[in-house]
Amino acid sequence: MSAFIKGRNLWSDAWIRITKDRFALLCFITIVGYGLVAILAKFGMIAMPWDVTVGGSYQAPSLADHHLWLGTDLFGRSVLYKVIHGTRIAMSVGLMTSIIAIPIGMTLGALAGYFGGWIDDLVVWFYTTLTSIPNIMLLIAIAYVMGRGITSVYIAIGATSWVGLARVIRAEVMKHKERDYVLAASSLGASHSSRIFKHIMPNVFHQVILNFTMQFQTAIRSEVILSYLGLGVQGQPSWGVMIDDAKLELSRQVWWQLTGATLAMFILILALNIFGDTLRDALDPKVKT
Amino acid sequence: MNFRKVSCLVIILIGLSACSSKKEKEPENTLHIATLEKIKGLDPAMAGDLYSGDEVARAYEGLLQYHYLKRPYTLVPMLAEAMPAVSEDRKTLTFKIRKGVLFQDDPCFKETNGKGRELVAEDFIYTFKRVADSKTLSEGWWIFDSRVVGLNEWRDEGIKAGKADYAKAVEGLKAEDKYTLKIKLKEPSSQFLYYLAMTFAYVVPHEAVEMYKDDFRRNPVGTGPFVFDRKESNLNSKLIWNKNPTFRKDFYPSEGAPGDKELGLLVDAGKQLPLTDRLVVTVFVEPQPMWLNFMTGKLEISGIPKDNFDQALGADKKLHPEFEQKKIMLHKEPELDITHESFNMSDPLFAKNKFLRQALSMAMNSAQVVDLFYNGRAIAAQGPIPPGLAGYDPALKNPYREFNIEKAKELLKKAGYPNGEGLPVIEYNTLSSSTYRQITEFVEKSFGLIGVKIKVNTYTWPEFIAALKNKKGQMWGYAWVADYPDAENFLQLFYSKNVSPGPNDSNYSNPEYDKLYESSLKLTDGPQRTALYQKMVKILVDDAPWIWAVHRIKFTLSQPWTKNYKLNQLEHSMMKYLRVDTALKK
Repeated sequence: MSAFIKGRNLWSDAWIRITKDRFALLCFITIVGYGLVAILAKFGMIAMPWDVTVGGSYQAPSLADHHLWLGTDLFGRSVLYKVIHGTRIAMSVGLMTSIIAIPIGMTLGALAGYFGGWIDDLVVWFYTTLTSIPNIMLLIAIAYVMGRGITSVYIAIGATSWVGLARVIRAEVMKHKERDYVLAASSLGASHSSRIFKHIMPNVFHQVILNFTMQFQTAIRSEVILSYLGLGVQGQPSWGVMIDDAKLELSRQVWWQLTGATLAMFILILALNIFGDTLRDALDPKVKT
Repeated sequence: MNFRKVSCLVIILIGLSACSSKKEKEPENTLHIATLEKIKGLDPAMAGDLYSGDEVARAYEGLLQYHYLKRPYTLVPMLAEAMPAVSEDRKTLTFKIRKGVLFQDDPCFKETNGKGRELVAEDFIYTFKRVADSKTLSEGWWIFDSRVVGLNEWRDEGIKAGKADYAKAVEGLKAEDKYTLKIKLKEPSSQFLYYLAMTFAYVVPHEAVEMYKDDFRRNPVGTGPFVFDRKESNLNSKLIWNKNPTFRKDFYPSEGAPGDKELGLLVDAGKQLPLTDRLVVTVFVEPQPMWLNFMTGKLEISGIPKDNFDQALGADKKLHPEFEQKKIMLHKEPELDITHESFNMSDPLFAKNKFLRQALSMAMNSAQVVDLFYNGRAIAAQGPIPPGLAGYDPALKNPYREFNIEKAKELLKKAGYPNGEGLPVIEYNTLSSSTYRQITEFVEKSFGLIGVKIKVNTYTWPEFIAALKNKKGQMWGYAWVADYPDAENFLQLFYSKNVSPGPNDSNYSNPEYDKLYESSLKLTDGPQRTALYQKMVKILVDDAPWIWAVHRIKFTLSQPWTKNYKLNQLEHSMMKYLRVDTALKK
């Protein structure tokens, strides 16, 4: 009977709702824009080379030359270019940590929720223990053990940020595993793995998307903090390093590095937050109007 | 149950009152100063770095010290009654120790119920043996190594037996009576008296070492002017030193250098030291908070961070009017120091490849370093000896310290790595503060110009020193500040017997250089020795074990109420002379 009703599935419905919200759309475009800048910078198509001297030390911003729109740093390098390459680092950290964190969170959450019993106990014990350690301490410890550099930033943030997702997935899977469609699948002889990944997963996957937008901005902030503390990115422009520089510069009235880095970060995080909120509303069947 | 509640309350109240009673008021005459790195420890035998040395000298004292005011720097007695009697062959030194000098009160003196006992000549013998004891791992062993008769043998026996025997006599160290110390040297040495003024030779009581063992570095017990407040202090953040109530009779000098009287530096002549009741030393790993604290009057003395230089001084290197209005005083003096980038020559990459070292040296632009990091407050170095010491040659032009990328590339090709190809990534050690990160970025950028890449290891100061002493890493930035006013202090940094954990941090070893160094030790100050020094510098210039960076010019500021402050680069114990004018501070 249901086949005759012209319905929309969760995703197309969400898409319509998002496109209706102009502001959310703007945020989405902003995020895509950042992504584009990051990709272009990654392949050296814009803002290259960033590490050459384009002016004097601490030259103030001027409109005369695009290098100087945000002034120069201690070594006379273009702050604008550094901000752009900082975007590259930030976006790559957001993406890579998600690539690390999401599979871990999804798998552990699904296993715990589906099997219950001692597996559940073990997974819950594991992530409770992990979260009981203050996050920043854990990040610093991992960064110390792994040595400094972008790879250890990926791993440090990735390995500490899967817990939220694991919790949500676990709860969702618990809810779903007793549903009719899963029971039907099992009576048709579907294996555990097929039940988890083929049947339940697609129905909880919107949670992963949601978590991704939130996770993305947390990762960016963590990278900035780690780099600010001198544990993060080495020898590459990062917003955190720029803010760390600003600590020394502000007293000589050099405000442009701080402004450039924080503004870039502020806009991206704001866009991610607003878009994430809209996405949550759009994907939540309960707030359907 | 009620009773339990009440008792809980009582306990809480006691806790609170204990807290509040601890916060007793700071004496008015308190001096607040800054140190720029975390303090490794307060054990004189381990005080190889400037920061620990300064702290150690608050609690401990040695036989000799530098006159606070006189220039050029002059040795004067400290715990010795007078300068030592020197035998005709210059090999025997006889010191008379001051009578009635007491160690600070401490529970380690069990026989006297915690009252400090009197200092005797035997204490110096114990102290020197402790520095020689291989188990102490002292950074200062080099000051005695191969110099005092019988001490090397005593050390070796200790190593063989697994434990040093302090009861066994050493021929060169003898206490003729309670107050007479006789030191016999293998060879006459013009530097030995300077060594005795270093913090390594500051006297420690064996009771404290035995009682505190590994914790001795946190429990200083000396004869010095200040007592360490062990409860309130933390070596990583703040050290509090209170006036030592049983401090010996020690007086402010009554003569100084020309001009000192006009500057008011002799007002307190003849007064009992220390002149301040308390000394609070705050660790500022970052320069900004230090500067802000000084500007709000919370610090009595401060250096000028590079980023605040323009704020304080104009292009003419004079204080801006608003500083003058506040009557803030500017002190400046060329430092007896050198900053440098070291190549670890115990590493196979750098050991045999002179061209590689020279190439990297030519890629570093000194003029830019002086500009960016020192605001022009430094002189580009050509060799190890700073201006102000005999042996410094103002005409010396180091061919490998010229900034020339073309030549650097040529040398790199000669080294076997054209355009850096085939050269492994160089491991570079640095410190974790922002300024060091910027300096590291500069090094990275400079080497990048000729295609050389570095991998950065970031450490805290104690970790950094530990890496150095263990010969870890391939390059690092470092500095050497004179321990005594003789160029030999800089030249010994390349003597092969001083390799890490000694002060030869690049682990440089060259038999020809060693021979010249050894023969220079036999000479006294004069044109012959200076010529020899210059010959040694020439070898170093060519071998390039370091990239010679700069000799700094020291600029410090003091508040108008800070009295008796004069830059003194050699005397660690100088804080005992300072005083706060409490009326002016209000």
